[in-house]
Amino acid sequence: MFSKLALRNVRRSFRDYGVYLLTLTFGVCLFYTFNSLDGQGALVYLAQNGNPIVDAITMLMDIFSVFVAVVLACLILYANRFLLRRRKRELGTYLLLGLSQGQVSRLLFLETGLIGAVSLVAGLVLGVLTSFGMSALTLSLFEMDVSAMLAVNFSPRAAGKTVLYFGIIFLLVMALSGVQVSRSRLIDLIHAERKNEVLKPRPLGVAVFQFMLGVVCLAAAYAILLLFGMALAVAVPFLCFPMLGLGTAGTLLVFRSLSGFVMKFVQGHPGLYFKNLNVFTLRQWISKVHTTYLTQTVVCILLLLAIGITASSLGLNSTLSAMTDQEAPFDITVQNRSADHSGAVDFDALLREGGFDPDRELSGQVDFCAYYNDPAITGIEDVSGVLALSDMNALLALQGKTPVTLTSGETLLLDTWGDGLVTGSLGLSAAVVEDETARQLEVRRQYWSANYAGDKMQTEERLLQLIQPLQLEKQIRVESRLSIYADMMGNKILALFLGLYLGFTFLLAAAAVLALQQLSQGADNTGRYAILRRLGAQEGQIKKSATQQVALAFLLPLILALLHSAVGMKAANDIILAVGKVDSVASSLITAGIILVVYGGYFLATALACRRMAKNA
Amino acid sequence: MSEILTVTDLKKVYGKGGSLTRALDGVSLSLEAGAFVGVMGPSGSGKTTLLNCVSTIDRPSAGSIVIDGRELTRLKGGELSKFRRERLGFIFQDCNLLDTLTAYENIALSLSILRAPAHKIDKRVREMAEFLGIADCLDKYPYQMSGGQQQRCAAARAMVTRPALVLADEPTGALDSKSSQLLLDRLDELNRELGATILMVTHDAFTASCCRRVVFLRDGRLFLELHRGTDSRKDFFQKIIRVVTKMGGGMADVL
Repeated sequence: MFSKLALRNVRRSFRDYGVYLLTLTFGVCLFYTFNSLDGQGALVYLAQNGNPIVDAITMLMDIFSVFVAVVLACLILYANRFLLRRRKRELGTYLLLGLSQGQVSRLLFLETGLIGAVSLVAGLVLGVLTSFGMSALTLSLFEMDVSAMLAVNFSPRAAGKTVLYFGIIFLLVMALSGVQVSRSRLIDLIHAERKNEVLKPRPLGVAVFQFMLGVVCLAAAYAILLLFGMALAVAVPFLCFPMLGLGTAGTLLVFRSLSGFVMKFVQGHPGLYFKNLNVFTLRQWISKVHTTYLTQTVVCILLLLAIGITASSLGLNSTLSAMTDQEAPFDITVQNRSADHSGAVDFDALLREGGFDPDRELSGQVDFCAYYNDPAITGIEDVSGVLALSDMNALLALQGKTPVTLTSGETLLLDTWGDGLVTGSLGLSAAVVEDETARQLEVRRQYWSANYAGDKMQTEERLLQLIQPLQLEKQIRVESRLSIYADMMGNKILALFLGLYLGFTFLLAAAAVLALQQLSQGADNTGRYAILRRLGAQEGQIKKSATQQVALAFLLPLILALLHSAVGMKAANDIILAVGKVDSVASSLITAGIILVVYGGYFLATALACRRMAKNA
Repeated sequence: MSEILTVTDLKKVYGKGGSLTRALDGVSLSLEAGAFVGVMGPSGSGKTTLLNCVSTIDRPSAGSIVIDGRELTRLKGGELSKFRRERLGFIFQDCNLLDTLTAYENIALSLSILRAPAHKIDKRVREMAEFLGIADCLDKYPYQMSGGQQQRCAAARAMVTRPALVLADEPTGALDSKSSQLLLDRLDELNRELGATILMVTHDAFTASCCRRVVFLRDGRLFLELHRGTDSRKDFFQKIIRVVTKMGGGMADVL
């Protein structure tokens, strides 16, 4: 009997449960996707190549999963408490009909269990699909063809973990709803519909003052961040705390007073004030401010975290990419560090001997030696190696860069360790001198660099087979673009995964909290819409007003969060720029896209539901 | 005098198949411009159904309603709400003010919905508020006003658009006697001075006695009609009471 009632209840209140179910499903899907990483193509590939980052990624994901689970648990408890509040009258009726509190608790228990089971299954199915998408995304970051690693993959370990974590959350929800029912009194449940929210009139002048104060606070916080820069503003406590405090207080004040400020402004413009249902929409907004401004502040901060984390992880990603390119100008560089004892190796001949045709299989090669510095000849102190000008220009030519010229007797000091000249690095602090000067010096190391013509992985494998025997008698160091990429790839994926995981969690939480709140207010508003209809307001106007109210609730925190993160990104970019090039436009666009899909989806669902409520009023 | 409202052989049937309820069973009624008509009858006599049909909230099963020369039963959705906002004014028992708006905004909103020019709205709202004696509480929210003030505010909202017909559903139902009297005085004055046509449904013989004409409904039919003529209000009240007594047991529960 109970299970039938529970099933019917869930089906009947599907509209209320819709957002709840959606949030649960997304939560499960998110959790599964990021816990099934170790089975995804990219990590499998890295693990095969013995990359130590794989363990680090898995471990970090495990740690952050606990954090994410706590956030999701809070969200689910909030949503459940909210749903229970809406159903107080119904629960009161059950009690009035003679059901015991234990039986009502059991009913809720069954309903929660049912919802939990449905969302777990749906979330896991969705999760398998998303992890396939994630896999495709991360594999596409590799600059080599690894599409063979792409496959639909179900991770029993991740699924088990998801079921365990969410099982605990659902049990918690069940227990808490039981407690709530057993502690509430029948009279309160029955009269739950009667509103006892007291609207206190607040003079609009106060709102105007608060709004100004809020703007000043925000401006001060922005000024601290921009003047001192991100690094200083975050690291120094007596800059950091005032900045965060001012920012939060400013946000709070703006949300608290913006409606009153706008009202004051609109009242001075009868054309706006008396147009359509503007008065009604504005007053609705004002009347809800004192129940919503705290939520909006929290949502704004969550959005800021989501935007900030996602954008900077994507930005960092492209920075890492740029650094890889810088570190690996050639497909391969072989250093012969024994050139000073045993002389240079003729790599070209060595390869031909082994049946490798450099003319066909390589698109270019440079072979040169660095020399020991002798201050007496070069006139330079404090460098450990010297390059001849013609060798330097040969290197630059293969990289497609413009050659350098030296006038007679002039020398050129290279960046520390000669980064970006060969793959890996020179490993010497070097200077460039004219050829005649260099030839008088003693050979120190030999560098042979080449680019592959054909399939990179196969070519590299064959090359290494021929070069490896040399290591028995000489000190040989091999650096290839592929191996550097594999290292970088690990870091890239780690940054991307962590950013997306946390960013999505915060975004989901923010959107779900707003959606639930708006739906509840939409339900409270049905009586008011009925009055408007009796006064002869058009359907279109009423629906428009309902949409505007939802839009205000969703857009305001988003706009302020975007403003905050624009300032934050500006400050952060100054740091990243110091490290390397950052493609902030692209990463910002991708972030915007992700936010648009998740947040916009919740907004649309809420707006449609509220319009439907207004229509049926 | 021209006729504002003509109801002819109006029928409204609820339910299907075997269990039909005839809420209205052939009611005919007509109001001239400037009339102040009360509708009385026991519970279930069809008063509210009649009002709902006239106010275009409900559609009749048969018969015709003509207001100001327009046949209501032929109007469609969009036309209906246009008609409602331009030609009709409503006063309800639970006054139905929007609790989030001030009194001023509640009155102004019905003009906004009517798309009245913005610069005229302020003047019209204040005039009407002055007339109904609520000028000093225009900036208050409904929950800050007394029941009588709320109801007069609702009356102001109904009258400010200068509708052809004002429909009042138990306007004094939730008021104490003093507030009732104040509201009725104002309605009477609106009727006399501004020539508003009012159709008022009520349970209360005293409330009905301030109308110029009272019609009695019973079981969905017109039972009797009383004209005040030159009677004093007291005499008219006595006449109404006699009819109510004659209507018998059905009325016992309301007196």
